[in-house]
Amino acid sequence: MKIGIMSFAHMHAETYIQNLRSIPNVEMIGIADEDLARGEEFSEQFDAHLYPTYQDLLAEADAVIVCSENTRHRPLVEMAAAAGVHVLCEKPLATTAADAEAMMAACRQVGVILMTAFPMRFSAPLQQLKMQLDAGLFGQPYCVSSVNQGRIPVDYRSWFVDPELSGGGALIDHIVHLADIMRWYFDCEVTSVYAQTNNLMYPNGVVNDSRGFEIVYADEVPVETVGLVMLTFENGVFATIDCSWSKPLNYHTWGGLSFEMTTENGVIAADAFSQNLSIHTEKPMAHNLAFWGSDANQAMIEEFVSAIREQREPAVTAQDGKIGLDITLAAYESVRTGMPVKL
Amino acid sequence: MDRKLRVGIVGTGGMGQRHAQAWSRTPAIICGFVSRSPDASLALAHQFDTKVYGSLEELLPFVDVIDVCVPTHLHHEVTLAGAQAGVHVICEKPLARTIAEAEEMIAVCDSAGVKLLVAHVVRYFPEYAAAQQSVEAGEIGHPAIIRLNRGTNPPSKPDENWFLDEEKSGGVILDLMVHDFDYARWIGGEIKTVFAKNVRTENPSAEFDHALVILTHENGTISHIEGSWALPAPMFRTAFEISGSIGLIEHHSDQTASIKAYTHSRHQTGAAVPMLQNPLHFNPCTAEIQSFYDHLVYDTPIPVTAEDGLAALKIALAAVQSAKTGLPVQISNLEAIA
Repeated sequence: MKIGIMSFAHMHAETYIQNLRSIPNVEMIGIADEDLARGEEFSEQFDAHLYPTYQDLLAEADAVIVCSENTRHRPLVEMAAAAGVHVLCEKPLATTAADAEAMMAACRQVGVILMTAFPMRFSAPLQQLKMQLDAGLFGQPYCVSSVNQGRIPVDYRSWFVDPELSGGGALIDHIVHLADIMRWYFDCEVTSVYAQTNNLMYPNGVVNDSRGFEIVYADEVPVETVGLVMLTFENGVFATIDCSWSKPLNYHTWGGLSFEMTTENGVIAADAFSQNLSIHTEKPMAHNLAFWGSDANQAMIEEFVSAIREQREPAVTAQDGKIGLDITLAAYESVRTGMPVKL
Repeated sequence: MDRKLRVGIVGTGGMGQRHAQAWSRTPAIICGFVSRSPDASLALAHQFDTKVYGSLEELLPFVDVIDVCVPTHLHHEVTLAGAQAGVHVICEKPLARTIAEAEEMIAVCDSAGVKLLVAHVVRYFPEYAAAQQSVEAGEIGHPAIIRLNRGTNPPSKPDENWFLDEEKSGGVILDLMVHDFDYARWIGGEIKTVFAKNVRTENPSAEFDHALVILTHENGTISHIEGSWALPAPMFRTAFEISGSIGLIEHHSDQTASIKAYTHSRHQTGAAVPMLQNPLHFNPCTAEIQSFYDHLVYDTPIPVTAEDGLAALKIALAAVQSAKTGLPVQISNLEAIA
């Protein structure tokens, strides 16, 4: 099976390319990027063939992973669908309901798979907890306090804080993973969303020192940098999500995804990224975490490949991505109105 | 003050005993306890070389200050009696069960010319105080998001567990989380909006309570306050995370505990949990009582006032109302809450 990557705008492309290369009988045929300089840079970095255009890549591919900016998923997904190529699309699936619906319709019409990249569905600790919940180990779930925090994602890529390209800030970046996990855990939908945000982080702009002190924003960041969301589910469970870009740029890791769930039988704490070594090197104050847990991205891409081979729906669908987007858009509406929004 | 400060402790439960221990380390004289069942409290009185009275009225003539360690719904009545007798009043948190009660307590103490102090002990926890100092010094810039977490097992009492009677205690939101409402306001400023949900409101049949609260401060900071009475006994955990414009402060009591005892529980059934210990030369309760003593005798400043206690109470009662209605509550519209 021949798979390529469309756009390296999202940094997850850098891990996906390596995930693809480690799957037997999958050929990572190359990449394409409308930003030619970016395409050349990553083509060189990963020793990957660079197709001059997306159409050239699609002409040879059975499937693609779309890693463009959030607001640019739709044209690439539609292009892939028109070429009869299966798609794994980076999250969030889209930034408007109209885009999400158009993408889903385009893929449905030609019968190609459209999968949303929700790798946390493939996290070994979170999968284990799903089995234990389903087995009734903890009794009835009551509430969840969850965090998916990070550093402001500007390393190499400033588009995350440009609303024209990102569709928003911390809310659109970090609600969907946990919202999706909880929908999966409870096998029911969100009925109500309340959210509060601010952009008090980085009041003097963001300086990206990973690439020669590029000033990403000289003034305050134009999107929300921290957010708190309260979801209510059909089964009565209520849950908060902290989706903030609240970790300093020099934090010892990118952030994390964890939660505590209160149930009939007590409180269960889960962390998708606690399986780390602490590594201290001779650099002053240098402290790094080396993750040794199972690779959720690898499992997600293998599921994409398996779904194509077996001609079936993937475990995470475009519909899951669309619902994650609906929840996110409700959160933005709640921020505007100050009131909980019903779904 | 030439003679020694004379204190009376009203209530002989866990908090009365803890405060007595702390008072015994100050130069104050513990003139007595007040207990509904004086005979049962004789051993305690003996331990502190003092008396036990069957009523507040009997004790009041002999003291300069009363330390009110009775259930929350009785704070108002005891405080008013103390103020009317012309003695200072130290009141356990929460200051009162209702806003009207708290406002009257402040007004009555004020017109009687006695002090009303509220025992928000978290202000005296060194990790909380150190974080506040760091924020105040500007080390992390302007706080953008504050996360405060406090969890323990459901409170137990040998008899009449008033903690679990929401009419008396206000439940987990008022009794436990009022600590963190006070702290959020201390480091993040006044609160504008409160949105809350708790397990017992959503599931009245649930055995344990647990609440999640989102606060919006007047300056735009947002806070996530979590309080739990759903953990297995004996357990007590706290955590906080304060993310500011230029830095981050993190604390997790599971990690900072300096002694963790993973012992076999031969005499208990149920889940065995490690006992966490954080030894300090001056425990927070001792530091708090010493601070009250110094304030009463030498007029030294204290970090928390009765008005702070009232403000924390308002946030807690706004959270209770939000959990009931499913809607955000504006602190400025709170007058409607009894």
